[in-house]
Amino acid sequence: MPILSTKLYIPLPRTTIVPRPRLIERLNEGLNRKLTLISASAGSGKTTLVSEWVAACGRSVAWLSLDEGDNDSTRFLTHLVAAVQRIAENIGESAVGALNSPQPPSTESILTILLNEISALPYPFVLVLDDYHVIDDKRIDDVLIFLLEHLPAQLHLVIATREDPQLPLGRLRARGHLSEQRAAALRFTPGEAATFLNQVMGLGLTADEISALEARTEGWIAGLQLAALSMQGHEDIPGFIRAFAGDNRYIVDYLIEEVLQRQPDPVRSFLLQTSILDRLHGPLCDAVTGQADGSVRLEALERGNFFVVPLDDKRSWYRYHHLFAEVLSVHLRAEQPDQVATLHRRASRWYEQQGSAANAIRHALAAEDFARAADLVELAWPAIRRSGQETALLGWLKALPEGLIQCRPVLSAGYAWSLLAGGELKAVEERLRDAERWLEPAADMREQPEALSAEMVVVDEEEFRRLPVSIAVYRAAHALALGDLQAAMKYARRVLELVPEDDHLPRGAAVGLLGLASWTNGDLEAAYCIFADGMANVQLAGNISDVIGGTIALADIRLAQGRLRQAMRTYKRGLQLAQEHSESVLRGAADIYVGMSELLLQHNDLHAATQHLMRSKEQGEYTGAPQNRYRWHVAMARIREAQGDLEGALDLLDEAAHLYVGGFFPNVRPVAALKTRVWIAQGRLSEAVDWAREEGLSIEDDLSYLREFEHITLARVLLAPYQNNRTNRSIVEIMEFLERLLQAAEEGERTGSVIEILIVQALAYHMQGDIPAALVPLERVLTLAEPEGYVRIFVDEGRPMATLLEAAAKQGIGLNYVRALLTGFGTDERWTPVSQVMNEPLSAREHDVLRLLRTDLSGPDIARELMVSLNTLRTHTKNIYDKLEVNNRRAAVRRAEELDLF
Amino acid sequence: MKQTYLQKENHEPGLYEIRLKGHLDARWEEWFEGLSIILDNDGTTILWGPVVDQAALYGLLRKVRDLGLPLVSVIQVDK
Repeated sequence: MPILSTKLYIPLPRTTIVPRPRLIERLNEGLNRKLTLISASAGSGKTTLVSEWVAACGRSVAWLSLDEGDNDSTRFLTHLVAAVQRIAENIGESAVGALNSPQPPSTESILTILLNEISALPYPFVLVLDDYHVIDDKRIDDVLIFLLEHLPAQLHLVIATREDPQLPLGRLRARGHLSEQRAAALRFTPGEAATFLNQVMGLGLTADEISALEARTEGWIAGLQLAALSMQGHEDIPGFIRAFAGDNRYIVDYLIEEVLQRQPDPVRSFLLQTSILDRLHGPLCDAVTGQADGSVRLEALERGNFFVVPLDDKRSWYRYHHLFAEVLSVHLRAEQPDQVATLHRRASRWYEQQGSAANAIRHALAAEDFARAADLVELAWPAIRRSGQETALLGWLKALPEGLIQCRPVLSAGYAWSLLAGGELKAVEERLRDAERWLEPAADMREQPEALSAEMVVVDEEEFRRLPVSIAVYRAAHALALGDLQAAMKYARRVLELVPEDDHLPRGAAVGLLGLASWTNGDLEAAYCIFADGMANVQLAGNISDVIGGTIALADIRLAQGRLRQAMRTYKRGLQLAQEHSESVLRGAADIYVGMSELLLQHNDLHAATQHLMRSKEQGEYTGAPQNRYRWHVAMARIREAQGDLEGALDLLDEAAHLYVGGFFPNVRPVAALKTRVWIAQGRLSEAVDWAREEGLSIEDDLSYLREFEHITLARVLLAPYQNNRTNRSIVEIMEFLERLLQAAEEGERTGSVIEILIVQALAYHMQGDIPAALVPLERVLTLAEPEGYVRIFVDEGRPMATLLEAAAKQGIGLNYVRALLTGFGTDERWTPVSQVMNEPLSAREHDVLRLLRTDLSGPDIARELMVSLNTLRTHTKNIYDKLEVNNRRAAVRRAEELDLF
Repeated sequence: MKQTYLQKENHEPGLYEIRLKGHLDARWEEWFEGLSIILDNDGTTILWGPVVDQAALYGLLRKVRDLGLPLVSVIQVDK
């Protein structure tokens, strides 16, 4: 059933309608304001009025009929964009891409994209939000507030609702932005009531009768329409009107009873029985009523003004007016309470035959036929898993009675996976146990005899046959997510025992998980081989996007091994694979470009590194895996850091920490440790020390690969005070700690870590003034780093490293490489020894300003020279004065000379 | 002090009387989640009964709104 298109369908104005020129005119006058609000109770004729108006208002129209499901802001925005796309096809594509990413950006940034595109449209249009009263999520009100605050001139917004929306209506009114039509205006005037009753409904009533009806209904259109339906074919119209006018009952209740009484039995039962449906369709009605004339009846009801609303041009789908449907269903429940479940069950069966699982399940749940609902869910499960709709599955499963799920092993296992996918790790184990109970009944019978009093139920035999394998895969993934490597490996191996060689997907999943476990253990070479083998299986199973995602893990492992060139080759292979399967190119390529950028940065090619990050963005920032989004920000932070913008780097790292999503990959380079390294560079040592304390790090710790990066960071934190004054821990202890780290990294053949530890050792000797001792680790590190083209890891260390490299060059150590590295320092402002004396180094731009301050040029001349405004120049000079702790130009130049900044 | 009082009110069930214009048939009792329907001869209806919390109360008012029933008053009855 085309739900979305029926939501976007613009109701056609009826031909048999009461013309309302005074209202249309007022509405047209409001078109040049921002918002038209039609606020009045159910059955006031809001939708009819708006559809008549917009059809003739001379503008394009986008329409969205809201329902309860739109209380989810993602869904609301998706539908909003879809509605606008009806008038301008190409609008909102990037907004939709952003929305569908697992970690969507802020609503405001999505709206900004959309509004910018709308403001480029060459023509004005009207966007109608009908039934806005169903919205009770404040976030959606906020969307509208933002929309109204930034509304492009092209867009006029119309809201039709039963209650006033939570918008600043007072302010909008006061500023003349609001055009509103409320209940009093929508009510039929006596003249309109006469037109309706006599011309549209052809009743031939007298003026007195019309005025009696008008008084009784207070011009409420639904009331008048029902009254007219009751009177059609009534023998004693004056008698009817007298009785109606003298009755106190709820109008709709009274009149529907009247209407139903006048209908032939088949129509009457059709109306009651189909009231359980939220959308009406001929064959669906036939299935529910057991009759064969559904389509004909629906058309007749529409012609007879029976509160039937067409949902498409073909008159294929309809719905009852909400008010009418609600009252009908209350009458159904009162008259035929036993029938309700049967009707829902029939609807469920029809939807099942149509292959619409979600609707079939919804009606089965409404029928409280939980066994049927469970059957349907079980059959729908493989497709749900493939499409990643675990959230919907969780909703249904939570509506089912516990006991019913427990005796369905396939459903229990599906439950476990949905919980795992949704990050609800705690409840996973119990569900897996529920499923497993049925696989080894003999063992469990003794332990839990009462548990097997119920019979096992299996609908999907194929899934049941595969259950031992599926459960083992889920258990392995669950254990890995919990960090229990032993268990993860145990279950992954069980999968391999259970599946034949040619069952590639579970094999690939299990082998891949084994590889990830080895990686987490720091056993890199094994991890690489095993994971690559797993991915080969996954590729044989045809799941290319997982293979492309897997290249990130492979390259990361190579990076830890200090094999930058192989890491780059791995990325290039992944990119090629993505391009060969262009349908999935978006998914993995964005993440691969980020990985490549990090490698390019290590080679000190800042330009190419930045370009690759931009290319990643072009692929669509949100088309990568959710677990990889934080990496973009880390990569950009390191580029900023290399450019000397430490504050900018910290901001990006904060963003990265915010975006971090733990996955199945080990978190070997935690963002907090990266931030600490920036703090050290800024001289913010107390914050760095706090980090080490909060993480519970100490040089007495047992060493593990998972904490290696943090431990090296800890050594840097402890060494930092020695740069200035010698305090705290004895340097001997720190040197011992570094030696221990080095040994562990060497044993695990983690050359990436070995290189960094050797560098820190060399710097530590340098701090102690022992250059010859420093050159020992330095010579080793140069040998290891040269073939892979490491640059940044040296240059990042600034002046002390430059001094050491110069000393090495004098002794003829690694001549060509060292010379190349020393040029790398040339472009780096930290070449100057500012960090030791100044709290914050000058930026490259500030250096430019400083050089000009030393000349005779006037302020305006300097500004012209730098092509900046005088204001910007003032900002620069103010920053320079702050950093140099001076307050005038001459003092700044003198201080800079002292610091050897020129 | 006021805060505590309000919180208590928000989370504890209370007896309510919701008065509507027009008479409602008894078949609506189920629709209004078991509230009793009392017809007043001034042409209004009183929905009377326990309402678990504020959220449930707003749910009821929404149902009233969706039927287009004019709302006259809502009062909490002392226990």
